[in-house]
Amino acid sequence: MTAPRPVLIVGESLAGTTAARHLRTLGHTGPVTLIGAEEHGAYSRPPLSKVVLKDPSADQTLGLALDGLDADIIRSPAVAADTRRRTVTTADGRRIDYDALIVATGAEARRLAAPGQRGELVLRTLEDARLLRARLADAGSALVLGAGFLGMEVASACAARGIPVTVVDTDRPLERILGDHLSAEITARAAAHGIRFVQATGFATLTGDPVGGVALPDGTELTADLVVTCAGEVPCVGWLTGTGLAGRLGVGIDDACATTVPGVFAAGDVTYLRGHGTQPDRRAPFWSNAVAQARTAAASALGLPPPGSAQDDYFWTEVAGLTVKIVGRLPLLGEPSTVQGSVADGRALLTWSHADGTSTAVAYGLRKPVAALRALAATSLPPAP
Amino acid sequence: MKISVDYPRCEGHGLCADQAPDIFSLDDDAELTYRFEGTDVPGERQPAARAAVNACPVAALRVLS
Repeated sequence: MTAPRPVLIVGESLAGTTAARHLRTLGHTGPVTLIGAEEHGAYSRPPLSKVVLKDPSADQTLGLALDGLDADIIRSPAVAADTRRRTVTTADGRRIDYDALIVATGAEARRLAAPGQRGELVLRTLEDARLLRARLADAGSALVLGAGFLGMEVASACAARGIPVTVVDTDRPLERILGDHLSAEITARAAAHGIRFVQATGFATLTGDPVGGVALPDGTELTADLVVTCAGEVPCVGWLTGTGLAGRLGVGIDDACATTVPGVFAAGDVTYLRGHGTQPDRRAPFWSNAVAQARTAAASALGLPPPGSAQDDYFWTEVAGLTVKIVGRLPLLGEPSTVQGSVADGRALLTWSHADGTSTAVAYGLRKPVAALRALAATSLPPAP
Repeated sequence: MKISVDYPRCEGHGLCADQAPDIFSLDDDAELTYRFEGTDVPGERQPAARAAVNACPVAALRVLS
């Protein structure tokens, strides 16, 4: 049993609720306070770009339960932190003391609209998803800015409704993440499902007020009923101004989810992993990392050793009805080291061996559990010297 | 405490089995087996079961009180 020190978690998110739950599992009997910015509490975001865009009844099924936590819940965003006095202040004027702080405020959608330009659509929150779903109902055409995971999922939702959709990016669909081998297949698959891709030579800008199109660097302007920005995320660190905790990439953490400030830990999409040796600083804002980091941050906040790795690189996406699941380091350069099945047929297991001795395993159109992919990545041989 | 499993929504990620391998298991085709289907989760297994529910990325698991 650990000493009952008050632990404050800022961010009623997957990372925040997982950390709270793990504090109790580890035997913490002291106060736990959870500060949330959204009035309906914590919910699961991955379904927002998939089932929620299709089915309004899904909205009610996303909540992350808080039962059995014995936590004090405050639903008002944190606006300031004083890490010397160990207090956090909320928008409604409360000041909460802590002994250990876990930062789990996540990230928000990156927006591209000019100041004052109205009507930009993004997809990050449940409100965003509801608005987009309503707009999909009567859209005759759509434009998606960004061909990453989210952009391709939104484009797939448009295509599934029979809405002609164009995706704009400087790189081909998922190329930055999955490399050119899989990107070429995915681009072809998307095209066969009515998703048109336009490769821009540089930054595209939103046109119209309200937003109704995209201008490309070569002077081309595309317009559509619906324009959705899927240009990545920005860590929510405004409330940490002056603490030295946060930079452009978010809050830096080590393997124990410790920050550079004593008594402060962090988990989830707000974080980046601080580089060491030849490893650069790295953001890895994925679901399973939020879970792994929350467990680690909870243990560290109680002065206990980490329960396992603070990194669990697993992610998945869905493109035109085909699921891709990946375990391991990205990006995937060049050709795969091993292939079982056929990518062209939409059913394959692939591995890429990296120079550092690790491997990445990919289930392409195959239903595989994460444990099977981890095992495949672990047994995959490094490249011959 | 009972847990409901929305099997059609399950995508076979298997993150529940990471949290509670004695309660949730998946075969090689990622088909899920839930050990306490239709019955109560025993008291001492409830924290792990709740952690598994929380870890499901597609919200296919729910705690029924």
